[in-house]
Amino acid sequence: MAHPQIAAFARLANGGQAPLRTVYGQGSKLSRTMHDIRYDEMHDEFFVVNPFAEAILTFRGGTSGQESPIRIIQGPHVKIGGNRLDVDPIHDEIFVPDGRRIRVYPRTANGDVAPIRIIEGPDTLLTRAESLSVDPINNILVVGFNKGEQDRENGALLIFNRTDSGNVKPRAIIRGPKSGIIRINQMAVYPPKKLIVATMPGLVDQMEPPDAFLGIWTYDDNGDVPPKWKIPIGSKTTLRKPFGVVLNPKNKEVILSDMRLNSVLTFAVPEIF
Amino acid sequence: MIKAQRGGKLWLLSVLSAGLVLGAQTRTEDRKPITIERAPQRVIKDQYPSFSAVAINPDENMLVVTDENLFQILEYDRRENTPAQARLSEPKRVISGPNTRAEMMCGVYIDPVTKEIYVLNNDTQNWLPVFSRDARGNATPSRYLATPHGTFGIAVDEEKQQMYMTVQHQNSIVVYPKQAAGEEKPLRTIAGSDTQLEDPHGIALDLKNRLIFVSNFGNAQISPPGSSGGRRSADTYGKFEPPSITVYPLDASGNVKPLRVIEGPKTRLNWPSQMAFHEPRQELFVANDADDSILVFRAGDQGDVAPIRAIKGPTTGIKNPPGIALDIKNGEVSVASMGTHAVLFFPVTADGDVKPLRIIRGGPANQVALNIGNPGAVGYDTKRDQILVPN
Repeated sequence: MAHPQIAAFARLANGGQAPLRTVYGQGSKLSRTMHDIRYDEMHDEFFVVNPFAEAILTFRGGTSGQESPIRIIQGPHVKIGGNRLDVDPIHDEIFVPDGRRIRVYPRTANGDVAPIRIIEGPDTLLTRAESLSVDPINNILVVGFNKGEQDRENGALLIFNRTDSGNVKPRAIIRGPKSGIIRINQMAVYPPKKLIVATMPGLVDQMEPPDAFLGIWTYDDNGDVPPKWKIPIGSKTTLRKPFGVVLNPKNKEVILSDMRLNSVLTFAVPEIF
Repeated sequence: MIKAQRGGKLWLLSVLSAGLVLGAQTRTEDRKPITIERAPQRVIKDQYPSFSAVAINPDENMLVVTDENLFQILEYDRRENTPAQARLSEPKRVISGPNTRAEMMCGVYIDPVTKEIYVLNNDTQNWLPVFSRDARGNATPSRYLATPHGTFGIAVDEEKQQMYMTVQHQNSIVVYPKQAAGEEKPLRTIAGSDTQLEDPHGIALDLKNRLIFVSNFGNAQISPPGSSGGRRSADTYGKFEPPSITVYPLDASGNVKPLRVIEGPKTRLNWPSQMAFHEPRQELFVANDADDSILVFRAGDQGDVAPIRAIKGPTTGIKNPPGIALDIKNGEVSVASMGTHAVLFFPVTADGDVKPLRIIRGGPANQVALNIGNPGAVGYDTKRDQILVPN
């Protein structure tokens, strides 16, 4: 897209209400293709990846304008390669998926820092790991798989232990036609109810995918399992191509970004919390 | 013996747990999802177009802009001037819809002879669709070319019938025959460790002096000397470099060094986006996105040089301009001002905080543009109760 930015909107913003602040410009070190963003309440920081400069950027919570990140993980030892991430604020770790591997960095790292561990190898079954979410309470790491030209199989959710390292088998795999998983753009977990929440925007080149949805599974699911809950696209939800998702448990809300609408939609979904 | 007993117990345990897992699997596989079909409580949405690129044909008074927000290609009369009290100007025609193969568009070109419109998708669609002079609505392109993912800028050498494009994702310039279609491959590619292509965006040609100008955001990939480039290969890594304009011979190919580079704090470059070259004046115009400005450099500039002119300030109305086009015949520069839903027109000699000659607005004058584009993710700042939306 022409103008990379991070816009911060009031929770109750509606319609064309302007953002409260935006982060952009050369000083911000941002690029396009920020396919993930994570806020760490414990340390009041947020995290994104700049995939063009292969950097993990950490900003202070209230960053605005052309302010620079407070930490940058970048350099020949970093080797990030993905454009999504999640942060574990309790164990101070950042997780980055990169197709065939998951790399883990110290949260407070700055500069040319090598990963502290890598999940990688044939037993991991990782081939197109593009998204992930970490649960520091139940010690779970959920990895999202995408269908692609190199991997004609449908997408999947792979569940690992948070502390896994090396060539480990996943604890569970949710995959198959009943699951409806083709491609996952962003995901979240909800530790109190052990839920996995993932956007399913259909194949990458489909402008208006016929069966895109938001799916919610549990950590106990394994095999070709349909989601427990599903928010579909369609005239009632108005969703067309859900890309991003984040939970707001305080207000029992699911917040979604939709690529085809270039919009952010907030749904009240008290039953899942 | 103990070992065998332990092994037996383990075996029993694994059988039991497999049964439990299988039982759980059977139950969950039969699950019927609970479908939540309800309207959203709130929707953050800009209902007006975000102008990302602009092209002009002065002979036909055509002004074509691409809109990244509503996925439209819009044609206006270039002489249009939205009255101050008007909500917006209606376009003469709109091309939009799933048949168009056009979505996240960042580049546009008008064929000076046929008046066909060439559109570059920067994301989500890897196509360059071409539309006839009469195309409108959900039109199928007259032809389309499969392009690398992440094309941004387009410039055309009409004499040689070749089109040049920048590719963000490959740090490259690709050159195709102008009539290329389908899966046709580029005639040549400029890419590699020596090129200093660092997240290339805009591209402009000086056909008189046979030069290519490329603007770079500075998101660099460092690769071993002599390598052919490309992102994320095993021996590359990322680095932040200053924004720059790199200059190459028009017929360059492969891993070539730039002839010269415009770079440094005096240049005021800040996310330099689309560019346009004024051949008679030998001046390079740069849409300087994050500085809300248009910068003008001399064709021969090099190193840490200040622009010779800069259109910038509250009177200009320029806000986050990714697109720019020159109308040499009428002596105007037009600016796609994404942050204000507007196209602004200035004299090519404009300098400083000057009022535009005309404004074509796609939205109300006081309506702030949200600039949400391909929101791939969303976050929530629990301390401030704010929704974080990256593009």
